[in-house]
Amino acid sequence: MTERQAPPAPGRGASPQRPARKDGLAAFAFLSPSIVTFVIFVLAPAAGVLYLSFYDWNLLSDGTFVGLANFERLFTDERLLRVYGSTVYMALAILAVNVVLGLLLAVLLETRMPRWLRGVFRLSFLFPFVISAAAVALIWRFLLNKDLGLVNYLLGTLGVDRIDWLGSSVWAPISIIIVNSWKTIGFSILVYIAGLQAIPHQLKEAAIVDGANAWTRFWRVTFPLLSPTIFFLVVINTINSFQIFAEPRVLTQGGPGDASRTIVEYLYDRAFGDFDLGYASAIGITFMLVLIVLTAIQFRFSRRWTFYE
Amino acid sequence: MNTSLRKLATVGAVAALAVSTITACSNDDSSAAGGDKSLEVVYWNYGPAAETGNKATADAFMAANSGTTVTLTPVTGENWGTYYANVATLIASGKRPDLMVISGEGAQFVHANNLVRPINEYLEKDAGAKAITGDIAQGLIDGFTVKNDVVTLTYGWNNMVVYYNTDVFKKAGVEPPKADWTWADFQATAKKLTADTNKDGKTDRYGFTWASNEIFPGIMPWVANAGGNLTSDDVCAATADTPQVNKAVSFLRQLITDGVSPAPMPMSDVFTRFQNGQVAMFGAGRWPIGTFLPAGFKSFDIQLYPKGDTYKTVFGGAGYPILKSSKNPDLAWEYQKFTVSEEIEKQYVGTPEKPGDSIPSRRSLAQTISKVGVPPANSDLFYDSIDKFPTLVPYPAPAKYSAFESTVLRHLQLIFAGETSVAGGLKAMQGELSSIVTC
Repeated sequence: MTERQAPPAPGRGASPQRPARKDGLAAFAFLSPSIVTFVIFVLAPAAGVLYLSFYDWNLLSDGTFVGLANFERLFTDERLLRVYGSTVYMALAILAVNVVLGLLLAVLLETRMPRWLRGVFRLSFLFPFVISAAAVALIWRFLLNKDLGLVNYLLGTLGVDRIDWLGSSVWAPISIIIVNSWKTIGFSILVYIAGLQAIPHQLKEAAIVDGANAWTRFWRVTFPLLSPTIFFLVVINTINSFQIFAEPRVLTQGGPGDASRTIVEYLYDRAFGDFDLGYASAIGITFMLVLIVLTAIQFRFSRRWTFYE
Repeated sequence: MNTSLRKLATVGAVAALAVSTITACSNDDSSAAGGDKSLEVVYWNYGPAAETGNKATADAFMAANSGTTVTLTPVTGENWGTYYANVATLIASGKRPDLMVISGEGAQFVHANNLVRPINEYLEKDAGAKAITGDIAQGLIDGFTVKNDVVTLTYGWNNMVVYYNTDVFKKAGVEPPKADWTWADFQATAKKLTADTNKDGKTDRYGFTWASNEIFPGIMPWVANAGGNLTSDDVCAATADTPQVNKAVSFLRQLITDGVSPAPMPMSDVFTRFQNGQVAMFGAGRWPIGTFLPAGFKSFDIQLYPKGDTYKTVFGGAGYPILKSSKNPDLAWEYQKFTVSEEIEKQYVGTPEKPGDSIPSRRSLAQTISKVGVPPANSDLFYDSIDKFPTLVPYPAPAKYSAFESTVLRHLQLIFAGETSVAGGLKAMQGELSSIVTC
């Protein structure tokens, strides 16, 4: 009786295993376009900015090596601290809206709506995301005009006094938060929906069989399985919301004063308004470090609340 | 800075390769070897009119000078300041333009950075130059003279005048303003024009507004007519908290408080509100007609700014200075001269269907605007305002103009929003400007 051959391991076929080195080379080949792009458009610029941060240079004349002087200026720049404050305020608010309201809307879209209406809402939420930020800001600038804008007109019909959306220190940053959130929440909803659809139905059904109500099912099944998605959105939205530029630039020019100015806009003004490339580079480097530290903290704490199957 | 290292740095920092700086460029007067007759011209691409205007000038120059090649490089920018920044980036990346468009605000900037080749020697030795400069108002030449160096001839310019919507005036039963009106007359007129047209209890038509994103059509005409300026005569010190500036800014702040003016908005928004009758008057140069007439809007006219303690026309021009990087300075001079030739200046006059968007610098051509029927009816006032009235000299344009303007605007935002007092805001403004306006 001839011995029967053992069947090949699942997914491997009958071919002999390729050496690991070959696999590594193949992977590198596939990754190389991304690596090259990353080096040219991320790493080289970052190195350039780091280099410039040690110089006093106005784009037109020979630069002068100034060592750490640009970094020392950071500690005596009162406006920088104010701008960091307004950036953190707006970024955290935008992050909260994207992560919390985005999740709420995604769950509503997935569970509580007729299919046709779901399509309409998905489209309407995603539509602003694909329009340029500057164009969005221009439209909102017109709508939010204090004395002649449509928003105040509509609020006026409800008996609300005119709000100085773009001209007051209180309302200008809120306007930026509203406009940026309106533009970006569609992306968060889309990612959440993808995450929700990836949760196995059997788990939800098992929870129903066990007598869990909707609230318990959400917290015990949906949320843990959605936690990697939430974590991804927290990281991405943190970085994006700290980097907003077009909305304050177009809507409020960072004003009044510095109430709605962001670090990126401030950096831009120092570089291309004052022609102070060295100092702007020092701001850029420290801002990059702040974002790296923030992201590292998020990764560190994510282990406590993210659940991977 | 080491050149090769700076190349690397600039690639990173501004996505450009920095080669040797402009100051290290050759100042060779002769045309490039091999009879090269090419020019590169950088201009501010603020819109379609800039593209067509520059292309027409370049094409006409090439047609008139066979064998020459003119390459146009459009550079974007939300205002003159950002345009200069983008040009500086372009130069840092290794481009060597022969000429670049600048405004009066940029004269100090290009001069202070040793970018420009003054045209004094050409004005002295070129026989045709005298006839040209004789036809240009002295103020337009002085406006481009820095430390006795004439930076460029001015091809076009703008003054600050008050635009008023003639339909709104008629509807409100208000007489058009006269040239000798005063701030008090202006205030009374603006009040009469302010109305709640739909009777919902809220104002929906305002008497006057001004641009929030520029000081030229914003506060400067008021500051000038209060007898003040934002810098000293030598543009070496800021004078932002003088009683005159205080008076002008307080006057504007009062217009908002009285409900006669809405919160200031960017100029492009002002155009829209003016055309649809929500704003009865605003201040600008000749450039709005480039938007109004093609859109079929003709219900407007212009008048001088009202007189305060004095009257001074606030104006600013534009020209094509020759850069030190030019390999063909003589040919570049010919091009600059060509930009103020009769043929090109006629384009700035324009036609009713295709109006120019600035005032021609040549008096003889500017005075034909009303004759060829380009609105507004009172368009003779454009050139008269510099020929027949006192002017604000110097325009406050320090070498760091972009930083200067953004600082002024930042503090004005707080003042006009009522978040700081006029005196307190101007004092804070002066404090910041003292390190920006220097010599």
